[in-house]
Amino acid sequence: MAVNGFWRRLTRLDRIIVMLLFALCILLFIAVGMRPPGRSVRVTAEGATLFTAPLERDRTAELTGPLGTTRMEIRDGKVRIVSSPCPYKVCIGMGDISHAGEIIACVPNRLLVQILGDEAEGKGPGYDLLSR
Amino acid sequence: MTSSAVDPLRLEAERRRIFLALFSALAIALHTLEFLLPSPTPWFRLGIANILAVVALFLFGGRAAWSVNMTRIVVASLFLGTFLSPRFFLSLSGGILATAAMTASRRLAGEGIGPVGVSVLGAAGHVIGQMLCAWLLLVRHDGIWLLLPLFMLLGVAAGLVNGLAAGFLLDVLRKSPPFAVGGNDE
Amino acid sequence: MTRATATLLLLAALLLAITLLPPREPEGPLIRTRLLMGTVVEIRIEDTESARYDAAVTAAFAEMAAIERRMSPHLPQSEISRIAAATGTVGLSADTAEVLQLAHDVAEASNGAFDATLGQLIRLWGFAEGEPRLPTEEEIAAALAGDGASRLMIADGRVAKVVAPLAIDLGGIAKGYAIDRAVSVLAAAGVRHASVNAGGDMRLLGDRSGRPWRVGIRHPRKSGDILATLQLAGKAVVTSGDYERVFELDGVRYHHILDPRTGYPARGCQAVTVVADRAALADAVATAVFVLGPGKGLALLESMPDLEGVIVAADGNVSVTPGLRGVLEWP
Repeated sequence: MAVNGFWRRLTRLDRIIVMLLFALCILLFIAVGMRPPGRSVRVTAEGATLFTAPLERDRTAELTGPLGTTRMEIRDGKVRIVSSPCPYKVCIGMGDISHAGEIIACVPNRLLVQILGDEAEGKGPGYDLLSR
Repeated sequence: MTSSAVDPLRLEAERRRIFLALFSALAIALHTLEFLLPSPTPWFRLGIANILAVVALFLFGGRAAWSVNMTRIVVASLFLGTFLSPRFFLSLSGGILATAAMTASRRLAGEGIGPVGVSVLGAAGHVIGQMLCAWLLLVRHDGIWLLLPLFMLLGVAAGLVNGLAAGFLLDVLRKSPPFAVGGNDE
Repeated sequence: MTRATATLLLLAALLLAITLLPPREPEGPLIRTRLLMGTVVEIRIEDTESARYDAAVTAAFAEMAAIERRMSPHLPQSEISRIAAATGTVGLSADTAEVLQLAHDVAEASNGAFDATLGQLIRLWGFAEGEPRLPTEEEIAAALAGDGASRLMIADGRVAKVVAPLAIDLGGIAKGYAIDRAVSVLAAAGVRHASVNAGGDMRLLGDRSGRPWRVGIRHPRKSGDILATLQLAGKAVVTSGDYERVFELDGVRYHHILDPRTGYPARGCQAVTVVADRAALADAVATAVFVLGPGKGLALLESMPDLEGVIVAADGNVSVTPGLRGVLEWP
């Protein structure tokens, strides 16, 4: 009843806009979800690499930025921030990342966590150079 | 008796100015209040202050919406101590794109679009403005766009809620004499 | 409504266009190759704005070419050729003296399994000339009689031969040394992320711009397959394998890694990969370990600090030094 009442308040164009935007969201989610799974995680601060690790092995890492120590966890191929000294905890709120190219940014603590995929390996065979 | 001596056009302009000042003040208060409220997700806010911009847009037109939102963003950031901080620029770029989307849609669609449509488009503009700002100034990494679906969904949902609230507020205000008259357009 | 629809479509298109923007293409690495020391040398710069290091890469190639001119046994004007022709002492450039000294050290540490004075024996087998043949036992004995690390005296930048016909072949070390020098040239020019790869023997400078280099080790029996992958930064990796230069005669395979003690190809290993700080050391040690075989070879790797390696024994068994456990990935 109440929902019906809300819906009736909208003009036809309103409804089209709302539905189109939600459809866009779904499309965006699909587009992001189709990305290949990542292989490793890299943490950088101001362009310098602090930490890299493959996603296969579960572990936690302590990363130090200007505000203090941010703790990151790799579990089941997913990376998330467990604790952070930053004021708004945006990085924790970003949740899990696991697909190639996904990132968690902690802007106050100047940390950028990113998932690297196969395409970041440069060549198909999974190595940069061949020793023979 | 004395009122007949006042120029009705001037009265109308003064009335607008006073209500706009009220709207701006209320928007600043809501902005600050929402910021200060504890939240399980500090990075996500409903943006209820935008309700006032939507109402101003419908009552007084596009220029009014711009002035409410820009005043709110600058003054509230001064209150919160975030003026010229990264957070301020995120807020500003989101606000500019949101207001642009709202006023443009209202101008183009006219009476065909209601507060919900305007508010939802404004929310989408806000999300994109913030992402652009974060992409260009803060993170400088393309991976940030992978967060767009989530932010867009939350933003559109928030825009829907705000739009409905703006609709109710407009209904209430239009029943009161000071708002019953007066055009929608600039 | 039509105007409204048009607006909507425009907005939707705008949103889509923004989300579908192609990711900014990062500037690629600078990769250049050149034929040097009988192989393809590839230098790869992974620094941002890699293009500005073009001159440094040219200088690095020039450095390698200069070392080749000094140390090739095939160029008549090289110091190595002059030593072969000389009867008395020969003055050496600092480079050649350094390489000979390192060769001497590895020869000592490996009990002669690595030997840079096998010039006669190597010429006898003809691998370098591309026309290998099976020498007779008498020929091999004669060549070994004239060679041997103990018959070379190095002092004060001069070298003296104890036995007149002695010839030096730096094939198992000069390439590594040239790689090291190329890396030094790059580092001096400010390059921080690079690799110098001379036909599968390589040294890494720094990491690969934020992540370790992934160095695949060729499978010694399945060409095109990878035995394992190493994740490394700032190290040299050299592999010696029995598949590199081979000929077959009467059903027997003969390869180019000769055992100085017998004069015949060493039979203990299929391949040895050595990880060290310097490519020259890795190059020489890879040969030494190959000749020593899996047991003594592993002991040699573990006896020297900062030396790590992967040994594939003749029976296919793989052994890995403990220091590689964290960086080695099996396929």
